[in-house]
Amino acid sequence: MAGAEEIEICEGGEESIEAEAKTERGDEKVLLQFLDSLDGYLTLMDSLNSKLREGWFDLASARHSMGTLRINTTLLDLKDHSASSTLQVTDQEVESLGSVHCFALSKWASKGGSGKGKDFSTVADSEMGSPRSPQLRHRGVSGEKPSDKGETTVLAADEEIKKERAKSLSVFGGLVSPKLRGAQLSFETALETLVEIANTRSSMLTAFERISKK
Amino acid sequence: MAGRASIPARNSALIAMIADELCPSVSYFVSCVLDTVVGFLMAGVGNVDIRRKTNYRIVDSKTTVRQIEDAFKEFSSRDDIAIILISQYVANMIRFLVDSYNKPVPAILEIPSKDHPYDPAHDSVLSRVKYLFSAESVSQR
Repeated sequence: MAGAEEIEICEGGEESIEAEAKTERGDEKVLLQFLDSLDGYLTLMDSLNSKLREGWFDLASARHSMGTLRINTTLLDLKDHSASSTLQVTDQEVESLGSVHCFALSKWASKGGSGKGKDFSTVADSEMGSPRSPQLRHRGVSGEKPSDKGETTVLAADEEIKKERAKSLSVFGGLVSPKLRGAQLSFETALETLVEIANTRSSMLTAFERISKK
Repeated sequence: MAGRASIPARNSALIAMIADELCPSVSYFVSCVLDTVVGFLMAGVGNVDIRRKTNYRIVDSKTTVRQIEDAFKEFSSRDDIAIILISQYVANMIRFLVDSYNKPVPAILEIPSKDHPYDPAHDSVLSRVKYLFSAESVSQR
């Protein structure tokens, strides 16, 4: 009897040790996630800095060629209009962190007649505005039909984005310097980086809260 | 508002900006009106509603601290804004307000401006988490 009790106590002790080890592993995981997010945050801020510098430099070049009066904040469109680039905020479940706010960027969402915007998600971002692949340039007859519809959609999307970009620059006049277009692309890239920073910030703060509670 | 436990999912939320603009320096004739706001507006984030309310606030030499505070409070309380971009130089003017902000959304991101590079030491998010690396927190463990 005493032996059975001893065995039970040992097993109970082993279970609690295992539970403690599991908790410790979980804590270490959260700590690692926090440190990774912190590192990612600092790296992305550095990347943002260089992208903004590119944009500022291109803006300065455009202003030099087009003139200071043509590029300044007094020309900003104050008629009511919606933002073409917007965000979606959702809650995502992340292992060991729980619910984390996630930001997703929709660039150049066009406003069609139905009032619904077509979103050009940031996933295929870098490829928008330029051919996704050499296949798009092939005009010859091909036996492969299913890809045609996809190509047409991509081309139509590219056209929409070009229109939205041109519309955004139209406040500076009909003819704009290529440097201004370059600045626009630089700031678009900076915007994507900012959304990544926001997501990294969100996971960093969530991990920090978990660690602080312990 | 302050007591809500969860943030509802937001679709088509905006990015607000509080950034600085340098006034052109006549004595140097340099085209230094380099404007972060102009750049991001070209990227399509600008929004003006029917009442001509914008999602950006340009800070220049004539802007008072009170006006910056009001802009920050307004943007941080709007439901349709998910991220607020604020030049770190401007954030330093209302540092107490930015550091005391602790909601997850809208997210406050401090960005560099042309003449004021990003300084991690002043970032409100990093200030909040550096506690973990301070000597006091280590000794308490």
